[in-house]
Amino acid sequence: MKRHFRELSVAAALGVLLLALALCAPAFYQPQPLLSLATRQAPVLVVACGMTLVILCRQIDISVGSQFAVCGVCAGLLAAMHWPLPLVLAASIACGAAMGAFNGLLIAGLELPSIVVTLATMAAWREGLLWLRQGVWVDLPDGVQWFGLSQAAGQWTLVMTALTLLTAMAFAMTHLSAGRFIYAVGSDAEAARLAGIRPRRMTFAVFTFTGALVGLAAMMNVTQSPQVDPNSGTGLELKTIAAVVVGGVAISGGRGSLWGAFVGLLLLACISPALTFMHVAAYWEKAIQGMIILLAVAADGWRNRKRNL
Amino acid sequence: MNVQRHGIKAFLFRQETVLGVVLVLEWFYFDAVGRNFGTYDNTCDILRHSSEIGLLALALTPIILTGGIDLSVGSLLGLCAILFGKLWRDAHLPIPLAMGCTLGLGALAGGLNAALITRLRLPPLIVTLGTYSLFRGLAEAITRGVDTFTNFPASFLALGQGRWLGVPAQAPVFLAVALGYWWLVHRSTFGRSFRAIGYSPEGARYAGIPVHRRLALVYVLAGVVSALAAILYTARLGQAKADAGTGYELFAITAVVLGGTSIFGGAGSVYGTLLGVTAIGALDNGLVHALQPGEMAGMLTGVLLIVVLAGSAAPKIISTLRARKAATRIAGHSS
Amino acid sequence: MQKWFVPILAVGLIFVTGCNHSSTSSARGGAPGGGQKLTIALLPKSKGNAYFVSCENGAAKAARELGVELIFDGPTDPDPARQNEIVDNWITMGVDAIAASCENKEGISTTLRRAQASGIKVITYDADAMPDARSFFVNQATPQGIGNALMDEAARLCSSNGEFAVITGSLTAENQIEWRKYVEARRASLYPGMKLVAVQACDDLKDKAQSETTALLGAYPDLKLVLSTTSLGVPGAAEAIKQAGKAGKVMNIGLGLPNENKRYVHEGVTQSVILWKTEDLGYLTVYAACALAKGELKPGDKTFKAGSLGEFKIEGDNIMLGKPFIFNRDNIDQFDF
Repeated sequence: MKRHFRELSVAAALGVLLLALALCAPAFYQPQPLLSLATRQAPVLVVACGMTLVILCRQIDISVGSQFAVCGVCAGLLAAMHWPLPLVLAASIACGAAMGAFNGLLIAGLELPSIVVTLATMAAWREGLLWLRQGVWVDLPDGVQWFGLSQAAGQWTLVMTALTLLTAMAFAMTHLSAGRFIYAVGSDAEAARLAGIRPRRMTFAVFTFTGALVGLAAMMNVTQSPQVDPNSGTGLELKTIAAVVVGGVAISGGRGSLWGAFVGLLLLACISPALTFMHVAAYWEKAIQGMIILLAVAADGWRNRKRNL
Repeated sequence: MNVQRHGIKAFLFRQETVLGVVLVLEWFYFDAVGRNFGTYDNTCDILRHSSEIGLLALALTPIILTGGIDLSVGSLLGLCAILFGKLWRDAHLPIPLAMGCTLGLGALAGGLNAALITRLRLPPLIVTLGTYSLFRGLAEAITRGVDTFTNFPASFLALGQGRWLGVPAQAPVFLAVALGYWWLVHRSTFGRSFRAIGYSPEGARYAGIPVHRRLALVYVLAGVVSALAAILYTARLGQAKADAGTGYELFAITAVVLGGTSIFGGAGSVYGTLLGVTAIGALDNGLVHALQPGEMAGMLTGVLLIVVLAGSAAPKIISTLRARKAATRIAGHSS
Repeated sequence: MQKWFVPILAVGLIFVTGCNHSSTSSARGGAPGGGQKLTIALLPKSKGNAYFVSCENGAAKAARELGVELIFDGPTDPDPARQNEIVDNWITMGVDAIAASCENKEGISTTLRRAQASGIKVITYDADAMPDARSFFVNQATPQGIGNALMDEAARLCSSNGEFAVITGSLTAENQIEWRKYVEARRASLYPGMKLVAVQACDDLKDKAQSETTALLGAYPDLKLVLSTTSLGVPGAAEAIKQAGKAGKVMNIGLGLPNENKRYVHEGVTQSVILWKTEDLGYLTVYAACALAKGELKPGDKTFKAGSLGEFKIEGDNIMLGKPFIFNRDNIDQFDF
């Protein structure tokens, strides 16, 4: 119970929010809008899973938004050239993995600080995409949206994909040695190295894997509408980092779980629709989001303070 | 880690030197290719455009030295800008008093960051990520997104748009703040304590340094400087809006890191930050003069950042490779 | 040695530039360097927006016909001060005319006035600055005309009775604020039966417009129409309405480009898209800027002829492109932009 204090308190906060919605705006609980909301958040969840691994390793990746946009446009262009969808998916994942590997090379290979490297790649890729595409949208042919399935089937596919991935990764983190190695590298890289783990290889692998996840998420986003907006993914890094951190993953690495990130994401994703349903004006959204992030971490800090004294 | 070595080889590989060379190359390139780049008027423009980001970068330097970070400075700039506008227009305060109050409010906001980081021992990245949203959100909420403040008196606007003894009016302000931070970081005991805290907060505490008070000082100062930058911004644009300063924190961090301050803390200099600010400012300005599209600025800044960082990491990698080669040779001999 | 490096470098660079001391006006005279080619600088609100890409296509065509050099550059990040900085640089470069679409009305006027003072001709297009900061405003349609067209169309589709919501680009974009003002004024005077229930911002992101609209559809079950003042809003809202299964029950209109909306208009999800011929806007802007720089267009003129597009009326200092155009199922296929 104590170990999962943060996850439980965030879940409690989410419960309070959902309760408030049930009382003030029961219209929130309709199946179709909820499914649509879940489908829109599914790509974000996939990226948040990757971000969790990165932060567990005591690194950070603020270039995921730009990677998302680049993979999305790549996937869109290939789909527009009538490539078969599985191949487009593979290409998107490969594109993301390549960008993640580039990050990983600089961070693990040259031992440069991750916040700076990903700051640089974020700017370079986003502006590079803008330079090449000039913001023009990609029109997708019929059959790409929802993988050619019906809307309901497509939405359920995307949501279940994200949830399955989350469950699989959560299982892997606790039961597979690779998962434990990530926790080890994040807690104390030197001790991990002495124990026979190779921190730099793990870090490189984590960044590449996160890039691949971003490619998957971008493909999931592309199949949700008949056009690709090259500006999509703006703000994705902040959304996922906030969700992961609110969910209890320590920024200093080594502590936290994917389920926490999941609950954190749910909480933050519900704020905007909750405000709309409760007829609160749009300009309060950022302030409320900031307050929630601060409250979530402050509660933890208060607990730490009492413990340390 | 940046080990301070001496001698000409070490000097050549120092990040500030690499950046200085890049800056000189930039300058000559744009002078040749751009139209009217290397003129006095243009240099004044570069100074004017970089003054707010430069102030934020100066404020971030000691923070990053202590191993922390402050992502909220851009949002605080926006919040202070509209607070300044509100104090002047709606509370009818005279401009100097409104400026003073805004600086005070900036200090308070910095104090919020400081309190959460020092009292509750929260990681600065998360705290300032939260205040990044909170401050911008408050700015949007106060103005309901739509309100803007304009029609400031000409005497105030001269601060951002006019000249004082031939140099842009921002120059003396920027110079004063730069000197202040230089003194704080390089000449005072505070500065040494920042580096110590950056190397090891626990060790610094055992050495008798009042860690919490020093940290609180740098975050509060960052708040005050953000407010000052907001005032200059409003004077330069002639308008205060809730979206002022969007994205400035990332430019400021880029400038600081370009200048050689290690993001891990413990090493860095104000000179480097100034060089970083100038390099980015000259790049942005020069690309327009060279008729290059705006996207190039972002791409080149990213590339520049990686090249400069990799360049300064080069000696370490070369020595590691050499050591490895020597080790295998020894192993070969002994077997 | 390290200590003195930076001051020496700084002094050195300033010395080098000081030797190049040339005031902007003399530089401007010599800048085109021999060739008499005029330089027209076109400033969009931001790059990466298909609307401005379309304007640029028209502008480039006009530049080729006139034989002038066209500079097209704009902010790539949401920093509102970036437009000012780019114009400042153009003043130093000594361009002949600047045509700007203004994100911040008062903010940009600061630097546009400086441009005028240094002899550069200034006009605005798409989004105006303060009247004293520019000679003419190439107006695709007056803000009042746009607001009226939007509200009239909304009322027509809802039979003047019902709830509607507005999706705007950002809460701070001034021309959208002005259009909303006229929408509200029109509603208050002619259509009291229409009720505006919510204004949401989508940060000029189609995905966000989709999410916001999904929430709006749930939060306001009696919602009859979604109106977008940004071209990114209409397709996003359309997708949300389609996914909620409310196509045809909730109307979708707004300002948008035909190409981005053709699919939804044919499917009946979007009823009307209102815009103007953006390429013509760019074309007319460059012609006007060039004429102004050459002295052929003067304040007080009543008409202006722009190349192959013919004559345009000038009302006061507004060069009128025409009325807003309503694209719907019947005519949208005729256009490609």
